[in-house]
Amino acid sequence: MRRLLPSRTLTALAAVFAAAAPALAGDPPSEETIAWFKQNCTSCHTIGGGRLSGPDLKGVLARRTRAQLETFIADPKAAIDSGDPYWVKAWNDSNGVYMPAPAGASPDRIRKAIDLIEAESAKEKSQFAGTAVSDRPLVADDVARGRALFEGTLAFREGAPSCIGCHSVDGLSGFGGGRLGKDLTHVFARLGGRKPLAAWLSAPQSPVMTPVYRDRPFTEAEILGLVAYLKERSETNAGAAGADLSGEPRTGGSGMFAFLAAGVGGLLAALALFDHFWRSRFRSVRRSLVEGSKR
Amino acid sequence: MDVRSQIGMVFHLDKCIGCHTCSIACKNVWTDRPGTEYMWWNNVETKPGTGYPTRWEDQQAYKGGWETDGKNLRLKATGKARIIPNIFHNPSMPSMDDYYEPWTYRYGDLFNAPEGDDQPTAIPVSMVTGEPIAVEAGPNWDDDLGGSKVYARNDPNMEALSPEMRTQMFAIERLVFFYLPRICNHCLNPACVASCPSGALYKRGEDGIVLVNQERCRAWRACVSACPYKKVFYNWSTGKSEKCILCFPRIETGQAPACFHSCVGRIRYLGNVLYDADRITEIANLPDDQLVEAQRSIILDPNDPAVIEGARKNGIHESVIESAQRSPVWKFVRVWKIALPPHVEYRTFPMLFYVPPLLPVMSTTGQNGVIRSDLDEMFAQTEEARAPMAYLAKLLSGGNEGKLRYALKKQMAVRIARRHLTVGDATREQAESALRQADTTFEEADAIYRLTALATFDDRFVIPPSQREMAMEMLEDPHDRRAEAGFGFRAAPARGA
Repeated sequence: MRRLLPSRTLTALAAVFAAAAPALAGDPPSEETIAWFKQNCTSCHTIGGGRLSGPDLKGVLARRTRAQLETFIADPKAAIDSGDPYWVKAWNDSNGVYMPAPAGASPDRIRKAIDLIEAESAKEKSQFAGTAVSDRPLVADDVARGRALFEGTLAFREGAPSCIGCHSVDGLSGFGGGRLGKDLTHVFARLGGRKPLAAWLSAPQSPVMTPVYRDRPFTEAEILGLVAYLKERSETNAGAAGADLSGEPRTGGSGMFAFLAAGVGGLLAALALFDHFWRSRFRSVRRSLVEGSKR
Repeated sequence: MDVRSQIGMVFHLDKCIGCHTCSIACKNVWTDRPGTEYMWWNNVETKPGTGYPTRWEDQQAYKGGWETDGKNLRLKATGKARIIPNIFHNPSMPSMDDYYEPWTYRYGDLFNAPEGDDQPTAIPVSMVTGEPIAVEAGPNWDDDLGGSKVYARNDPNMEALSPEMRTQMFAIERLVFFYLPRICNHCLNPACVASCPSGALYKRGEDGIVLVNQERCRAWRACVSACPYKKVFYNWSTGKSEKCILCFPRIETGQAPACFHSCVGRIRYLGNVLYDADRITEIANLPDDQLVEAQRSIILDPNDPAVIEGARKNGIHESVIESAQRSPVWKFVRVWKIALPPHVEYRTFPMLFYVPPLLPVMSTTGQNGVIRSDLDEMFAQTEEARAPMAYLAKLLSGGNEGKLRYALKKQMAVRIARRHLTVGDATREQAESALRQADTTFEEADAIYRLTALATFDDRFVIPPSQREMAMEMLEDPHDRRAEAGFGFRAAPARGA
C-alpha cells in the first residue's frame, strides 16, 4: 500500500511552516530582519547616531506607541497627511521630504523591524549608530570625480546607471539632465548635509532607484565624489533667486526649448539630407523627354 | 551536362503588322482586374522608339539585368548589401508617368448629357484618381511615329550610331520603322528571380516559365527594376507583382498562349528546346559580342543521342524530347540561325527570339528615272537598309553585326530563290549564288519559306505535353475516388427530392 506522503515531503513541509510562523517576542532579531533594516532604513536613520535625513530612532518607542509606528511605517505619507502633530513636526524637520514606504513592508516585517529598533535602542552602542561612509575632508578631486560620475563620463564600478539619465543639476551643459527624477541642485541642503546624503546614497530609497541600485551599490569613493559635487552645486546656487528646494523636475526652461528646437531642426536636416540623396525619386523619364523636345 | 527543357519563342518581325491584337487578347484574358489597368504583359512597340515603359532599354536609369567583370555576375539593380540603403525607396523604378496613367472615358455623358447646342463628348477620366485628365501618354503613344522628336529620337539603341547616322536616319526620305511585339522572355538566367528578397519568383522546372508566387510576394518590387525588359509589373491593388505567365493554363492543356493564338500576322512560333543548364554561368560572363553564339551553343541538339540520354536521366519525358525535335524554335535559332535574342547583353538569355526585319532599302533610280528592282540591287542593298545595321545589331545581337547580317542575308537569299521559282526573273545561277553567299541551300530555303509563309497552326506551335495526368498522380491517387459518387455531396441525396 502506498503511503499518502513520503516522509521527506512531510519534513520539508514542517520546515516551511516553522519558517512562516511569527517569531516569538524576545527572540534575537534574525539575519534577514537586520539585512532588511539595513537595506531600507539606514540610509536615513541611525539608532543612537544622531539624525541623518530622518530622525534618530533611538528610543522611539518611548515617544510613540507600537501601533502608531506600525501605521506610520506602512504608509508614511498618509500618516503625515492625517495631521498628527508629531509626524508633521518630523516631516518639517526633514525639509518636507516624505519618508517612502519601505519596499516589501509586510505587517510582520514591520513588527520585526520595530522589535529590532527596540532591541538596538536598549544597547549601549547600536550596530546602526554610525554610517559606514568615511568623513574625511572633501577635496577638489572629489568634486571633479563626482561631476564625471554624475554626467556619466566616468562609469560606476558596479555598473549602475549614471545620475544624468534621470536627474538634472544646475550647471550641466547641453540639454541638461533627465527629467524623470528630482532636480538635484539643492539635494545637499534638502537632505541636511553631508552625512545624510552619504547615508542615503549608500542605499538609495525611492520606488525607481531601489530596485535598480540594490544590486549595484556605489563604492565609498563614488559616494564621496557625488556628495562633494552635489555640495558644491548646492552651495554655488544657494544664493540664486528663486532657488527651488523641493527639487521637482523642471518642466519648462531653456533646456526644454533647446531639446524641442534640436528635435525639429534635426528632423528638417534629415529630411533635407534625404531630399538631397534621393532628389531624383520623382524623376520621370518620359516627361523629361517631352520637355527636352520643346527646347 | 544538365539537360533541361525550356519553352522558347520566335517572333518574325517581318510579318508583324503592328495591329496590337496580341496586346488586346492578353489584356482581356489577364489584365483587366483592378490594379492591372496600366499593365501590358504583351505590348507592341514602334522602333525606333522609346517603348513601354519609356526608354526601358536605358539601364542607366532602370538598372535592369546583370553586369559582369569577366568572372562574376552581379545584378545591376540590387544585391544583399545594396538593398539596405534603398529599403524604403527603390531609386531605379519606372514612375507611373513612364508607364502611363491609365484612363477610361465617361461614356455615360454621351447618353445622359442635357440637350444642348453641341454634341456631348465622353471626356477621359483617370482610372487612378477618377478625375478628368489630359491624356499625355499611353503604352503605344508613339505608334507608327518613325521620326518623332520625343520618342524615336530618344531610342536608347541610337547610342550605337554616330551623330551623322542619326541625323541621316531621320531625314524625311529615309524614315523607317518596324514593330517590336514584346512579352516576358522567360529568360534562362532571369534577373527578376535572382533579385527577389522574398524568393517569390521562380522558374518552373518542367518548361522554364517564370512565375511570381502571389502568396510569397512581399511587394519589394526588386524584380520590377531588375528585369531589364521591364516585364514585371506591380499591382497596386493587391500589393503583389505580376508578370506574363505565358498562359500556362493554356500551355498545359495543349493550347497556344492567347497572344500567340490571336496573332493576325502569324508571326509567332512556340516550341521547347533542350539546353545545358550547367553552362549558363560560364557563358554569362563572356563579352557582349560573343553572347549570341554562346546562347546558341547551350541549346542542345534534341536528335543527339547523348543529349537524349541526358534528358532522360533528368526525368524529361519522351514526348517532351520528341516535341523538342519538332520545335520551330530549334530550327529558327540553331539550324537556320536567323532568329536573334533581344538585348542579349543584359545577360539574362531571353528565350524569345526575333527574326530581324528586312527593312526597305534606299531605292535608286536607274535609266529613265525608273526605280531599279533587279536582283543585284536587292541583294547588295541589304546592308543599306534605312535602319542602319548598327541599330538593329544593338537591339538584337548584342552589337554583333555579323550575326545580324547573316540572318538578313539568308532571308534575302530565300526571297531570291523564291523569285527564281515563282516570278522567274532570277536565273538558277543567280539564285544559287545568292544562296551560297548566304550560307544556305535550296532545301533549307524551301524549309524556311514553308515555316515562314505557309506554316499551319501545328507547325507554329509545338507545345510540349505537360503530362498533367502524371503530375496529378504524384499528388494523389486517382483510384481514391473510384466507386464513389462524383466528388461528394453537400447534402445526402434523397429520392424524390
